[in-house]
Amino acid sequence: MKLPQVLDLAAATTLRTQLMERRGQKLALDGGEVERLGGLCLQVLIAARNQWRVDGVDFHIVNPSPAFADGARLLGADDIASLGDAP
Amino acid sequence: MDPMDAIKQTYFQECDELLASLEEGLLSLEAGEADSDTINAVFRAVHSVKGGAGAFGFQAMVGFAHVFETTLDAMRSGKLDPDPEVVKLMLRAADVLADHVAAAKGEGTVDEARGHAMADELAALVAPEGGAPRTSATPASPAHDEDGGDEWGFKPLKFGDDEPAAASAGWRLVMRPTKAMYAKGHDALLFLRELSRLGPTATTLDTSWLPNLEGLDPEESYCTWTVELPAETPEVAIRDIFDFVGDDCPIELTLSGANVVEPPAATPAAPIDIDALLNSVRTPTAEREALEGGAEKPAAAATPAADKGASKNVPAPAGAGATIRVDLERVDRMIDLVGELVINQAMLQQRVMESGAARSSTIAMGLDELEQLTREIQDSVMAIRAQPVKSVFQRMPRLVREAAGATGKQVRLVMEGEGTEVDKTVIERLSDPITHMLRNAIDHGLESTEERVASGKQEEGTVRLAALHRSGRIVIEVSDDGKGINRPKVREIAVKKGLIAPDASLTDEEIDNLIFLPGFSTATTISNLSGRGVGMDVVKRSIQALGGRITISSIPGKGSTFTLSLPLTLAVLDGMVVSVGEQTLVAPLTTIIETLRPKPEEVRRLGPRGAVLAVRGSHVPLIDIGVALGQRSEPIDPTQGVVLLVESEVGGRAALVADEIQGQRQVVIKSLEANFQRVEGVAAATILGDGRVALILDVDAVVEKMFSDRRDAAPLAKAS
Repeated sequence: MKLPQVLDLAAATTLRTQLMERRGQKLALDGGEVERLGGLCLQVLIAARNQWRVDGVDFHIVNPSPAFADGARLLGADDIASLGDAP
Repeated sequence: MDPMDAIKQTYFQECDELLASLEEGLLSLEAGEADSDTINAVFRAVHSVKGGAGAFGFQAMVGFAHVFETTLDAMRSGKLDPDPEVVKLMLRAADVLADHVAAAKGEGTVDEARGHAMADELAALVAPEGGAPRTSATPASPAHDEDGGDEWGFKPLKFGDDEPAAASAGWRLVMRPTKAMYAKGHDALLFLRELSRLGPTATTLDTSWLPNLEGLDPEESYCTWTVELPAETPEVAIRDIFDFVGDDCPIELTLSGANVVEPPAATPAAPIDIDALLNSVRTPTAEREALEGGAEKPAAAATPAADKGASKNVPAPAGAGATIRVDLERVDRMIDLVGELVINQAMLQQRVMESGAARSSTIAMGLDELEQLTREIQDSVMAIRAQPVKSVFQRMPRLVREAAGATGKQVRLVMEGEGTEVDKTVIERLSDPITHMLRNAIDHGLESTEERVASGKQEEGTVRLAALHRSGRIVIEVSDDGKGINRPKVREIAVKKGLIAPDASLTDEEIDNLIFLPGFSTATTISNLSGRGVGMDVVKRSIQALGGRITISSIPGKGSTFTLSLPLTLAVLDGMVVSVGEQTLVAPLTTIIETLRPKPEEVRRLGPRGAVLAVRGSHVPLIDIGVALGQRSEPIDPTQGVVLLVESEVGGRAALVADEIQGQRQVVIKSLEANFQRVEGVAAATILGDGRVALILDVDAVVEKMFSDRRDAAPLAKAS
């Protein structure tokens, strides 16, 4: 699954819905096209990571774009790209 | 109050609430309701207690909470199953945490061995995956989330001078975006980017309020950020960034652990649902919301625990609505003043009547309106003091666990009516009697597991604790499904102890009531739990001191129910004002069944001084109030006075003789003990409309005195 270019207020609900549809499946989210990561979508991603962890299923964010990585760093979640690696 | 103390007090209050929700959450996990929200709530509770403990330097508490939190985190992330054994352990861990809080308050000590053993047990739960089990040495280290917790990014604020200044001098900014902020198109990212342009920043994300995806509202704001900036950054530059969002993104700005610069208490962070707020204000429950403690409520932001506990950024759970904390003294002062107002109003009314003003005059009508208003004010003020009994009930699961552990019995506690409200003074004094009755129910009421199995019952005994309102009083019921009162044994013991005559003929109810006699104990061996000589008589006395009653109903083999009935408030009383000789007395209306003027043929002499009254086929003892209180030596002729037929706890019905009835009214209770001293037969005093002091009758004491006088003459002479 590819993450959209803009992860802002408008994208948050859709992102959650898309992720919920894939619940129970192993996920590798491609962040290569992301140009903007906002606070709400960050919440969705972390909540999804936690959910997948509770469900015991792999969850990864791969190939983060520089914008994604920069946004995550500013938001204090630099490790989001590797957050899915539940040990 | 020292500001630091005030903050600490607020933290302790938060702790009490957090511990309660911790226990509540664990109990629902125990009941098999393991959803991620519950686990999150439990985690947050421990996390928040720990946060505040760190800020105040309660290192032992931080250490223990840290281990607890780590285990809960494992549960939260699905590495640890909340199976019954694990949850039981966690319940006990919650007890230890409560001990730590109590110790921090200075109200007790922590059993260190128990705490360490518990920490080891907790650590062992996560050890298989987390490497070597943590030893008890770990909890002693401050350990602010170096491991396992960094994703929560929680760092308690340091403040006051208890702790040395934080190592990194500089600005610490906590920003709490709201749903409204995002809805208006702003984003936390933009502020963080602007901040990063001011200088090197260190940003920490706090996601401890974030639910899992399933429970997530994608447009709600759950996360908060803490940003550290160099000390040389101009304050105004930081504030400017947030200038245009205002309340949509409240911030707290502190300089290297110094004072809170901005008092953000006035800026509610949560998106306020005005409709919900208004609705809650309109409902009667809102006005009954408990308002307690902490007059000088410090800026909420100054306590990390307050921040966490107040659930700023999450959709508020039920009950965390529009409430304020008010120092109890202020409320009490107001109640006193309203009491004075009621008395003053009554006096005014009486003066006006005495002056000969007509009932229809404008003055009299104005006074009637004043009376209604005063009544309403009084009711409203009393409602402020009303609190749900939950605060007492929530301590009971622990007690039951410990009692079950001590007796080796399996006990399930069922609680009902925790939301039932009653005056705070009553609540405070309910704890001991309920504690004692629950212990008794477990120790004496329930059978051992083997006995239960042998008699075909479930292995697990059930103890029920319920609260309800019934006819203007609060009723507390403690019942068990045990063996019921062993009446032959109770009787045998009473005879052996000389409490009753060997040949006394007693009804089942009378036998049951023998356990309330002082010094009575049925346990053949003195157990650790109850039966230390302080028994049900103490319970009964403390209930009576509250103006309450206690009754038992017991079915052999099926169990017993103890029912407490208490007044809802100790501040006012509906009473019947009567004259006895020169005195004016008030009899509590709740004790009076009816009033009547006896006919000569209904009064029968009994012995040289005694008399009974025939009331609809039964005979009740006649008691002259004046004689009972020592105002006169000879009783008046009952047919010349009036009789108050009362129901007393001690001797059933009795007929109290007074000279005449003046009327019924609500009176403000003034403690006689506090202002003078305890007087037998008198419960309290009040001030009447004409300014005179009137005594409030202690009906039970009067009846009991009569019975004990007669018992001295002839053991168990039954009047009816």
